[in-house]
Amino acid sequence: MKFLPNPAKDPAERTLIFQIDTREEALLLAVLRLYPVIQNSHHHLSKDPQRAGSSEQRLLEESMAQQRAAHRRKLDELFLKPQRFFKDAPGERRLVLKGDQFEWLLQVLNDIRVGSWVKLGCPDLEKAPPLELTRANARYLHSMDLSGQFQMALLEAVK
Amino acid sequence: MPEISAPSIVPDTTKEEKTKSKDRPDRGYLVICWNDPVNLMDYVTHVFQAVFGWPKARAERHMLQVHQTGKSLLVRETFEKAEHYVHQLQGYSLHATMEREE
Repeated sequence: MKFLPNPAKDPAERTLIFQIDTREEALLLAVLRLYPVIQNSHHHLSKDPQRAGSSEQRLLEESMAQQRAAHRRKLDELFLKPQRFFKDAPGERRLVLKGDQFEWLLQVLNDIRVGSWVKLGCPDLEKAPPLELTRANARYLHSMDLSGQFQMALLEAVK
Repeated sequence: MPEISAPSIVPDTTKEEKTKSKDRPDRGYLVICWNDPVNLMDYVTHVFQAVFGWPKARAERHMLQVHQTGKSLLVRETFEKAEHYVHQLQGYSLHATMEREE
């Protein structure tokens, strides 16, 4: 996936266009179908254990649940009408993101990346030994890597 | 955070968040971002820019502080604002908390 710079006619209506091939499109849709991966109980307002059962902690979990439900509804629209996001151009396929769709997609992909990492047992990815892959956890390694690749491609647009 | 690309580091001339306890006695909550090995460095920088409206150099400085020291104090705020920022940061799946300043 590659960012295609395009001068905006109206800066307020930001449109970001990415060149994407059909294999990448299929992979992106497959990864997005995993959403959400992080559980609401993953979120902690504070490291202070006394706040663990507080009303503010419950509010955070409710807020994250509402956000995930909203993100999920947008994803359902994407799966129902992919032509609103993926468009044919002469000689290529494009992913077109308008308005807040860029931030939405970044958040969704990072939920999948971080959630997959949690499912893998929160390994230290920068240190050996490598993960012991099993049939059960291999898919989370794939989804963590793939979502990260798509995030990096998206972030090229704002560099 | 996995190292994806080396960000350009520009000397940050902005002042750290300093409280004037006499003027703003209730700004006693610290919003802290903690390191983890999974969030991408460019992503963290982008989130700091998006949530706080910071210029890139400042966002990168805090991102590097998280990466190198394990955490970064992002802002010192009232309870309500600190809570708002933590909700925003966790909405991006960053490891952020608010702590009472001792």
